[in-house]
Amino acid sequence: MAKIVILGAGVSGHTAALHLKRLLGSKHTITVVSPNSKWNWIPSNIWVGVGEMEKKDVVFPLAPVYKRKGIDFRQAKGVAIRPYGDADDPHGAVDIEYTLPEKAGTTERLRYDYLINATGPKLRFEATPGLGPDGHTVSVCTADHAVEAAEKLRQVIAKLKAGTPQTLVVGTGHGTCTCEGAAFEYVFNVDHELRQEGVRDLARVVYLTNEAALGDFGVDGMVFDQQGFQTTSELWTGSLFRERGVEAILGSHVFQIDEDVIHYETLDGEKHTLDFDFGMLIPPFGGQPLKAYDREDADITSNMFAPSGFMKVDADYTAKPYEEWRAEDWPSTYLAPGFDNIFAVGIAFAPPHQISKPRKTPNGTVIAPAPPRTGMPSGVMGKTAALTIADRLKHGATSPARTASMARMGAACVASAGTGLTKGSAAAMTMLPVVPDYVRYPTGRDERETQGELGLHAHWVKLMLHYLFIYKAKALPGWQLIPE
Amino acid sequence: MSETPMSPVADLSRSPLPTRKTLRRRQSLPLQFVRFIRFDLRILRMVSKAHS
Repeated sequence: MAKIVILGAGVSGHTAALHLKRLLGSKHTITVVSPNSKWNWIPSNIWVGVGEMEKKDVVFPLAPVYKRKGIDFRQAKGVAIRPYGDADDPHGAVDIEYTLPEKAGTTERLRYDYLINATGPKLRFEATPGLGPDGHTVSVCTADHAVEAAEKLRQVIAKLKAGTPQTLVVGTGHGTCTCEGAAFEYVFNVDHELRQEGVRDLARVVYLTNEAALGDFGVDGMVFDQQGFQTTSELWTGSLFRERGVEAILGSHVFQIDEDVIHYETLDGEKHTLDFDFGMLIPPFGGQPLKAYDREDADITSNMFAPSGFMKVDADYTAKPYEEWRAEDWPSTYLAPGFDNIFAVGIAFAPPHQISKPRKTPNGTVIAPAPPRTGMPSGVMGKTAALTIADRLKHGATSPARTASMARMGAACVASAGTGLTKGSAAAMTMLPVVPDYVRYPTGRDERETQGELGLHAHWVKLMLHYLFIYKAKALPGWQLIPE
Repeated sequence: MSETPMSPVADLSRSPLPTRKTLRRRQSLPLQFVRFIRFDLRILRMVSKAHS
């Protein structure tokens, strides 16, 4: 009987756990370690953040699902990986520390035959003084953050109703952030909410982003075929900003936030300030603070993890300029170098480089959107690691690893621009591949599969995905038929 | 206090505005239903093409 340990129960870790159980049954033990007791459909947090959904609509408790499926669940956080075991046992192990209130602080060493690191991001609010719920801005990165964002937004709407003009700033809180798509969604949902409340005319709404161009989304933008003409996501997105009267400040690195002033630097090296009354700025992500040790207890963290805290996998980490980036740089098996039983999937793996062109200001400040690896790609990576493990347990440890490179897989991205079954709207995009491949495609992507459209139908798609993925995550009958 | 030294707000005056017809089509229930089905099929096609 093999022991499989999965660190993290987000999209990639939870997907891996469910597929492993489906493929392996009760012959092997599957243990999921997550510091959170609840699963969160993060893409819908933006609706919680404007008060259109409640927290209970986007989360559910994990323990009953795992109990029903026969998956061992530990509410704890991974602290250290011991890939060579310890002095007592050469079996690989992970050290965990319980966050379950009854066992809080208790530590345990779990042995594994296979390990999947799916720990997700550490929200690095500390990278910018004044950023985040402990500072002067709100966030929608967690359901609790989104609840707080909705409360603050209500206060701002009350002031607008009283006739006091307000400036609302939404975007990225540092030059190296990812998840611009979430900020894009939130700014248009805020705009929609203000219109619904009849107070839009008194509000200045600003999108402050590290993207050098609108529509970049951290994936270097997209080129669509629209009625026989190549259209860029920049033009298409710019149209929406103009139509809705949302101002955009591009290529910005926020370096300090005071109570009512945001300080930022732009790509030309100039420093600016922006007064604000309400700010929702996404923090930069880092890897969870996992350590790694060898059998003699020597620290090998820097061998297994990049300085960002993300785990190294089968990517080409050779430093090279943007012009020399290739699709082959991206990992496909998600196996850690030197180990055939340790995987890192979802946000936990270290990307070889950005997807968007990184830029520096004349002052040397890096303004470079980090590559998104959430949602559909995250689920596909989790399933791929599960398939590799199942193959190896069924057919022998030398079975080839399954592959799923972000330079081969596609993604659908549906960015809400306002809710309502008949009044809502969203921008729906599909891209194939996620990482552009200029060797295979002149525009970097398959033009037939890379498309963008705006409308009410895209809102319905986003709503459908909300219900479908929560159904799937609850492992209800037929869950496996819903694609990642 | 406002932005200094110069407001770096992006100039979107050249971005195309949708026509009234386009805005109507974006909210038209029958048309949007067709597009909803079409978009779902496109996702399925992409998944079957690139995620297997």
